[in-house]
Amino acid sequence: MQSMRRIFWIARITFLEAVRQRLFSFLLLLGAALAGSSVAFRFLNFGQGELKFVADFGFGIMFLFGSLLAVVMMAQLLFAELDNRTAMTLLAKPLGRSEFLLGKFLGVWAVMAVFVLLLCAVLGAVLLSRASELAALAEEAGRTAPVVDGGGLVVFAVLQWLRLGVVSAMTLLVSAGARTFLFSVVAGMLAVLGGQLQWLAQDLLAKDDAGVFQRSLAWFATRAVPNLQQFNIGDALVLDPASVPPGAPSAAILSGFLHLTAFVVIACALFRRREI
Amino acid sequence: MSQVRALWAVGTVLLAAAGASTDRSWAAVRPCIPELGPRQLELGAGQGVMLGVLGGLRTVMADVSWLRSYVLWERKDQAGSEALMRLACTLDPHARYFWEQTGFAVGLDMANWEIRRRGGYAKLPKEIQDHLFTTYARKAIAILDEGARVSRSRAPLLIVAGQLAEMKLKDLRLAAAYYRTAAECDDAPWYAARFSARTLWGAGDRREAYDWFKAHWLSTLRIRYQDKAPDDLAEIRMMEDALLLPLAVRVPRQPWER
Amino acid sequence: MTSAVSIRGLTKDFAVGIRGLKLRAVDDLSIEIPRGQVYGLLGPNGCGKSTTLKIVLGLVKPTSGSTSILGDDAASAEARRRTGFLPEAPYFHRFLSGRELVGYCARLSGVREDDIRASVDRALELASMTAAADRPVGTYSKGMLQRIGLAQAVVHDPELIILDEPTAGVDPVGSAAIGRMISAMRSEGRTVVLCSHLLGQVEQVCDRVAIMDRGRLVLEGSVEEVLARRDRHLLEVRGLTPAAEAAAREALERNGALLGEVSHPRRSLEELFRELVTGSKDA
Repeated sequence: MQSMRRIFWIARITFLEAVRQRLFSFLLLLGAALAGSSVAFRFLNFGQGELKFVADFGFGIMFLFGSLLAVVMMAQLLFAELDNRTAMTLLAKPLGRSEFLLGKFLGVWAVMAVFVLLLCAVLGAVLLSRASELAALAEEAGRTAPVVDGGGLVVFAVLQWLRLGVVSAMTLLVSAGARTFLFSVVAGMLAVLGGQLQWLAQDLLAKDDAGVFQRSLAWFATRAVPNLQQFNIGDALVLDPASVPPGAPSAAILSGFLHLTAFVVIACALFRRREI
Repeated sequence: MSQVRALWAVGTVLLAAAGASTDRSWAAVRPCIPELGPRQLELGAGQGVMLGVLGGLRTVMADVSWLRSYVLWERKDQAGSEALMRLACTLDPHARYFWEQTGFAVGLDMANWEIRRRGGYAKLPKEIQDHLFTTYARKAIAILDEGARVSRSRAPLLIVAGQLAEMKLKDLRLAAAYYRTAAECDDAPWYAARFSARTLWGAGDRREAYDWFKAHWLSTLRIRYQDKAPDDLAEIRMMEDALLLPLAVRVPRQPWER
Repeated sequence: MTSAVSIRGLTKDFAVGIRGLKLRAVDDLSIEIPRGQVYGLLGPNGCGKSTTLKIVLGLVKPTSGSTSILGDDAASAEARRRTGFLPEAPYFHRFLSGRELVGYCARLSGVREDDIRASVDRALELASMTAAADRPVGTYSKGMLQRIGLAQAVVHDPELIILDEPTAGVDPVGSAAIGRMISAMRSEGRTVVLCSHLLGQVEQVCDRVAIMDRGRLVLEGSVEEVLARRDRHLLEVRGLTPAAEAAAREALERNGALLGEVSHPRRSLEELFRELVTGSKDA
């Protein structure tokens, strides 16, 4: 109970510090502005329905800015404590290193929740308002009206929050062992890149004709690196929920959560050996 | 130290569990995500769109790529415009528009550019011109085949492939096969079945064309369309007359027929 | 009774560079710090003081040797619950008020939620920070930062308080105030370990001192013991005329003693500063 209390307070202060950062305000406002104005960019659209374009644009912005925020914020908030020696002050108290690290992670993840919620709210408002306009036009023309599924948007928000949590956890793992902030940010971004490309190994693993060496390599890659592409089903969830197999979002949530937990636990192991 | 080891052990077990769980979740999620294979990724590399692929901004980047392909298309830059068009298809493979337009551009425009580049229609021997039309049409059909596999809108792509087979390859049986596959799709346009039957009829397989058209009308067309597709039935009647079929094998007379 | 801090055979090597060359920061150090005293740890930069403190606080693992705090292993949570620490040049979250900061530290130190308010008020009062407690930490002067740092170190009522350069960069007024706080802690029965460059201050407030050089302990003892020169004496004389001086010299020589030097006693610059600067006498 005492431990939970300490973790809560570290997370709370981390959250308060994070939301005061200019980078957070900048990316949040820019992301919200871009997502809000995505309808204005629809003239660029050739291939898909207008709502698909708006949704893809908004979800893309959310992941891009969210990943940047998750990596930079996680590394920055941890290294700020280490470099300014606040970590020294705090860890000289009866505060476990794992508690400290978990508090930092939860604080950053809470910031990600605010980011995802706000952007999803903006994007949901844009999609719903445009969908109602298109529905009226479709009714006049006798066509089928496009659908925006609010429940799908909620599921997507959870998936996106989890994806950014996994990104934060990967950065936490890197930062727990790294010496410099710059290294953590670069390695964190590379980890995001690896996560986005992990499906290549996943597909290789599923192939029957792959060699033993390739399969072994793919097996290790799929264990060590999370598959970030599996969270990329926002447009299907919101615009075409029938195309999403039942159980797919919950399977992605379970896998993401397991990876997140694994990274945080290993980060704790690394951090316990670190000299402050 | 033992606590650190315990943490490492728990972390490793969790990673293994996470990996196994991802195998299952990816299999479930994969159908919802536009297909991207290593080959398509290679096409995207170096085009400045990795950000789009990786950041989930695929639709946007596909549109940007398509816009850029227009510029090169205007300049009749065959390699450049084709690469960018293929890239747009790769980035947003569910979109029918990209596949369809790429099929048209490759199958219809690019052979003409090549002929002009080699000296023009008057100068280049007819056999070489035909060879070029055939080569580009086959290439376009291969693109449309790929599109039909991954796009959510198959029938229109199969129709375009049929048109290219008919016009450029002069292969009426192949064209009829494409139209027929299109007619059997859920999103088949009303004219696909008629195209197939007419083309196969034109290719000389008249009885086969009739049999299929008749079966398709009875099983699908008269049910799918509220007006029971009278024009198609009229076409079927024409075929029955031409084939001199006895009444017993013809489509039974419909109550609404005059 | 166990010592407040017990350091036995402590050695710490750091690996330097990619070839992993070893740099010995602390070399076979053994110190026993008794309870209820103010203990000064002195030495030049790089002598291993801070590393020793970090090991005592469980922030760095020793290469060999052992450390305990009040009988518990120094790395244990129980030892840290009974210890307060003020690092050198402390930095705190600028957006928190002094009261919020001390409350936050109290919660991390295990103070019960019902006791938080009283503990925070008491710590702020001890650090003379009550008046500025509701201002953001970002607006504090260096001296105030040190004092709020002291408040966070004592908020959970620790038995042992470790202060690393508590007066670095603080003006003499603030420095004297911190000195008085240290004395107040001693009078409450707490043990204070003070790591400082300001030898004058150490001399004033410490009961015992240890001097380190190149990772080794070179001198340890009570301030009286280590500073006293038993072969010399100091007489304070008023109204000394040349004739009186000559007579005194002659009398001393007659009794086998030698008058070494006659000069005027000096007050310290700090004493003069405190006398001249407004309010500093009370600081």
